[in-house]
Amino acid sequence: MLSLRVAARFLRKSRLQSLLIVLGIAVGIAVQVFVGSLIVSLQQTLLDQTIGSSPQVTVSGREGQPIDYTAALDEKMRADGRVKTVVPVRTLSGIYRGKSATAPLNVVGGALDQLDTIYDVSPRMVIGEARLAAGDVLVGREFADANGVQPGDTVVLVVPDGRALRLVVSGVFDLGSAVANERMAFVASETAADALHLGPQEYTAVQEQLDDPFTSQQVADRLRADPSFAALNVTEWQDQNQDLLNALKAQSSSSYMIQTFVLIAVALGIASTLAISAVQKTRQIGILKAMGMGNARAGLVFVWQAVTLGVVGAGLGVVMGLGMIALFNAARGQSQGSFPITAQAGFIAISFAVGVAVALLSAIVPSRRTSRVDPIEVIQSA
Amino acid sequence: MPDTPLLVADDLGKTYGTTLPTRALGGVFFELAEGEFAAVVGQSGSGKSTLLNLIGLLDTPTDGSVRLRGRDASGLGKRRRARLRNELLGFVFQFHHLLPEFTVLENVTMPARIGGRVSGAEMRRRAEATLTLLGLEGLGGKNANELSGGQKQRVAIARALTNRPALVLADEPTGNLDTVNGEAVYRLFRQINEEEGTAFLIVTHERAIAQRTDRIIEMRDGRLVQDVRNDYVAPADASTRGS
Repeated sequence: MLSLRVAARFLRKSRLQSLLIVLGIAVGIAVQVFVGSLIVSLQQTLLDQTIGSSPQVTVSGREGQPIDYTAALDEKMRADGRVKTVVPVRTLSGIYRGKSATAPLNVVGGALDQLDTIYDVSPRMVIGEARLAAGDVLVGREFADANGVQPGDTVVLVVPDGRALRLVVSGVFDLGSAVANERMAFVASETAADALHLGPQEYTAVQEQLDDPFTSQQVADRLRADPSFAALNVTEWQDQNQDLLNALKAQSSSSYMIQTFVLIAVALGIASTLAISAVQKTRQIGILKAMGMGNARAGLVFVWQAVTLGVVGAGLGVVMGLGMIALFNAARGQSQGSFPITAQAGFIAISFAVGVAVALLSAIVPSRRTSRVDPIEVIQSA
Repeated sequence: MPDTPLLVADDLGKTYGTTLPTRALGGVFFELAEGEFAAVVGQSGSGKSTLLNLIGLLDTPTDGSVRLRGRDASGLGKRRRARLRNELLGFVFQFHHLLPEFTVLENVTMPARIGGRVSGAEMRRRAEATLTLLGLEGLGGKNANELSGGQKQRVAIARALTNRPALVLADEPTGNLDTVNGEAVYRLFRQINEEEGTAFLIVTHERAIAQRTDRIIEMRDGRLVQDVRNDYVAPADASTRGS
């Protein structure tokens, strides 16, 4: 590996130049890692806050008709590998009737352990206990504050057929959204069945959460294509959240643009430095060629230089990027409205590979230049 | 000595340019046997360096051919010419052209490293022996920049010899040295020629050096005008006094 040895010596001989180019690559890759992880984390947080604790695909009956949720239907819904969880629910609109005021409530009825797989209610209890026995109700923090309700209180809920159900508040939750905390309530499945006069197999909807929320259109299309679902409505979150999707796409586009320009700047930096190095080392390359080194091996000297600079620079950049993420998370502390950045392993691996690849591409010009070095011109000059 | 000459320059010529052709060398024919010690003389622009570049396979002729140990090198591609150059030839230039990034020992072993035909230990052994022969023992670990001008030129000679070339091509090897160091270089060449059987073709404008070789080839206006043994020395004239 003479080419590698020569490349290492060239780099060592020009220590300051090598250090500057490594720092140039490192800063570029650090920005890549930080901005990339920031955008991904921001989008993840936004998604978690908007659709993370809600169904991503919903199957419901047409014109308010209940679904006869058979074992066969359940099996078909779970057969899709992209589906994380399937929860049959009984939803109804009710009106809370307090001593001095009333308030509308969207009530979701189901088994608590199943509801947790979508709404994550149990870990989000702030007062009382996560319990949904028949006659229990879980309400949100804003609702409880506005109506002076606390665990153990009995509340009156007027259901669609006009009956007033008396329910005991078992706990108060915080779903992270003031609107959801004000409007949502959870009851046991049998309580909802009683309110809606539904049979044991009858549900108003079946809700799904997916491993990747962005596959919701494909999952929904698959269900729509199945004759068993022909008489049912299949909706998915992307259809109903176009504004959010557009915002996410705009964020991604701006992130890609920033990263592209950073990479271009890094590539130009490396290419110009290597080109200067090639000019500086013309004499040495000419001497090596006079001694019998072929064009390909001479060109490899600059490829190895680029690989070395790329690997060291990109490695340092990853470390710097992780450091910036750690600093950001430490500075964030408990501040309201902020979100943690999670280092994205896949993204970091891609950034590293891109850094090395960009360095390699930057070696093309100086490497090709070596084939034009004429040893005769070199050896005849002082 | 084998019958096949070490080097044959057969009707060798070089013309530069196509729209306005300039003939730098033409009709040059001579042979060099294994172990010969010869000089090429001629004034500036006479074609000495062009001849050396063609023989050294650094350039390709537009006419004729160069044969090294019977192999016609003219039709070879760049890569094979580079390999043949590395195998059979050693170069000593007017300027030492050492690589400042490497130590003396590394500089001396560089042609062998490029060739890749000998082991690292053998390479080192040969290099140290050559350095000792040239009075440079103990300097192997030094950087080339730390040496005096004379030492640098001796290291360059060691570099040309370590790969055990059949022919050393020296282009004005004493041109950049004072009289004492120039004389030392000549003595080294002669010693190596006698002890190792290495052939030398020395391009020089110094008549004193040329007169002490075994053969003088004189170039003028791109043509070979004299090729004589050292028992005959042409009278000094403008063509051999140098520039």
